[in-house]
Amino acid sequence: MRLMACSGMVGYGFTEDAFRRGLGLGVEMIGCDAGSMDPGPYYLGTATPFVSEMATRRDLRIMLEGARAAGVPMIVGSAGGGGSDAQLAWTRRLIEEIAGEAGLSFRMAVIGAEPDRDFLTERVLAGKTAPLGPIQPLTAGTVGEAARIVAMMGVEPLQAALDGGAEVIVAGRCSDAAIYAALPLMRGHDAGLAWHLGKIVECGAQVIEPRVGQDCIVGTIGDGYFEVEPGHQDKRCTRTRVAAHTLYENPSPSELKEPSGVLDSSDAVFEQVDERTVRVSGSRFHPADRYTVKLEGVRREGVRTVFVAGVRDPVLIGQFEDFARSCRERAGNDVAALGISPDSYRINLRVYGGSAVMGEREPDAGADPNELCVVADVIADDETASRAVLAKVRYSMLHTDFPGRLCISGNLAFPFSPSDMAVGEVFDFSVWHTVELDDPLGPFPIEMMEVR
Amino acid sequence: MTAKTRLRDVAKVIRSKNAGPLLLTIDVIFDDRETFDAVLAAGLFAPRRFAALYGVSDNEVAVIPYPQALAVKVTLPRLHRSGGPADTDVYGAQQHAPVLDLEF
Repeated sequence: MRLMACSGMVGYGFTEDAFRRGLGLGVEMIGCDAGSMDPGPYYLGTATPFVSEMATRRDLRIMLEGARAAGVPMIVGSAGGGGSDAQLAWTRRLIEEIAGEAGLSFRMAVIGAEPDRDFLTERVLAGKTAPLGPIQPLTAGTVGEAARIVAMMGVEPLQAALDGGAEVIVAGRCSDAAIYAALPLMRGHDAGLAWHLGKIVECGAQVIEPRVGQDCIVGTIGDGYFEVEPGHQDKRCTRTRVAAHTLYENPSPSELKEPSGVLDSSDAVFEQVDERTVRVSGSRFHPADRYTVKLEGVRREGVRTVFVAGVRDPVLIGQFEDFARSCRERAGNDVAALGISPDSYRINLRVYGGSAVMGEREPDAGADPNELCVVADVIADDETASRAVLAKVRYSMLHTDFPGRLCISGNLAFPFSPSDMAVGEVFDFSVWHTVELDDPLGPFPIEMMEVR
Repeated sequence: MTAKTRLRDVAKVIRSKNAGPLLLTIDVIFDDRETFDAVLAAGLFAPRRFAALYGVSDNEVAVIPYPQALAVKVTLPRLHRSGGPADTDVYGAQQHAPVLDLEF
C-alpha cells in the first residue's frame, strides 16, 4: 500500500505540485505531524502553536480537500504542536472552519492526549512510571505541580478511530511514526517495515534533495520492503539521506522506542532503486512485554524579561567576568531594598563573545573579542517583579565603576529603546517519563463527529 | 597517516541536536567506507574522549556506529534541559564545535 506524508510539520508547507502528483500515485492515506517538543517547553506550557495560524490553515485546507477528493483517510498527529487539549481544540476549530468554507463533509475523530492527573498519580504510586533519560523519578508532587502533561499515543487509538469509520483524524500528542504505521499495520504489513517507513517519512522533505523547504514524500510498503520517493517530480530521495535520517533526533541510530515495542534498524539495508527512489528492507520490530507511552510535562518557572546590550570598551572587556560579578552583587542589594526576596528571582548574564553558547562546556576561551553582546535575563514570579529586577541590573551594569574605567558616562551600548523586553512565561520540562498502560486506548479519549 | 588529521577535514556532516530535552546527540557522517573505518580504528570515538570534551562521566556517553549511513552517533546529557531557565541552546544545534577539531 502507498501513503503520503504531506510535510514535516503542519504549517511548514509543501508544494501543491508534489501534493497533487503524490495523491495521483494512488496513496491510501495522507498524514502530517503537527508537533514537536524541540522548540522547548514554552509551547506546551502555554498550549500555543509555534507555527502561524495562516500557514496551518493553508496546509490543512489543501490536505482536507485532497483527502476528501481522493476518498482516503487523513491523519494529523500532535495537533497544535504540543498535542494538549487546548491545541487540539484550536486545530479542530480550523478544520471545522475550512470544511465550512470549502463545503466539505466527513466523519472526524478527535483524540485527546492529556491524561487525567488522578490517573497519572495512581500510576506513579503503583510504580508504573520510569524516567526516560537523565531525570529524577516521577513523583505525585511533580505530577501535581506541572502546568501541563501530555501522553504520546501509539497506533492503537488511531486504528480504533479508523475502525470507527473516521475519514479525518485529529490526534493530540502522538508518536510521529504512528501516524503512518497505523494503517499498514491494520492491513497486516510487517511491523518492522511499517514503523521504519513511519520514521523515515514523518519528517517530510528531510530525506529529499535538493533540500529547498518542506515537501511531500510518498512511501510504498510491499512484501519484505518499503520504498520512499518525493512527491515532487523534480526532487529525489537518496540512499545517504534516508539512511542518515534513521539517526535523526534519536539517542540511538538503530533502536527507536515506540509504545508497543522497539524498531530495530541495525540490519536495515538501504538501496537506491532509481534516481529518486530508495528501497529499505531488513528492519525489525521487537514487541515489548509491557505497553508504555511517553509522558511529556512542563513546570512553570516564572516570567522572563531581558535586555540586549553591547560592550565595546577594551578595558571593560578585559575584566568583564569580575565586573559582571560586582554588578550582580550591587543589583542584588538594590532589589532587596525593594522588598523582593532573593530566592524569588534569578539573574543570568549571558555574554556572547564570552562562552554564552556552550557555557561551562566551552573548551576554547580564546582571545578577547573586540565587542561583547550581553543578554541580561531575569526570571521572577511575575512580570512586575521581573521588570523591577531587570531595571536594577540595567542600572548597575550601565553605571558601576571598574578598575581603569575611562568611560564614566556608561558601560553599555543599548540597541533599542525601550531596552527592557518582556519575553513571557518560562517553563522547564519536569516530566519526561514513560508510563505503563493496561489499555493502549486508556488515556486517549476518542470523540467521533460528523463535520458538514 | 603521519600528520594529524582533523575530523572536520574528513567528515561530511558534523552536527549536534537534541534527542529529547535531556540528551544531546552528535552525528558524524562520512563520505566513504575507508574514512569511516579509519576514524573508528584510530579510536577517535572512545567514550572517554567525548566525556572529557563535554565534561561528563564516561558512563554517560553512548557511542554507536551506524555503518549503513557511514555514521557514528554520540549521545550524552545536555548541560541544561532544553528551553529551561538556564538553557543556552534550545535545539542543541550549536554544541558540535569541539568535535570539529578532534585529531587522529
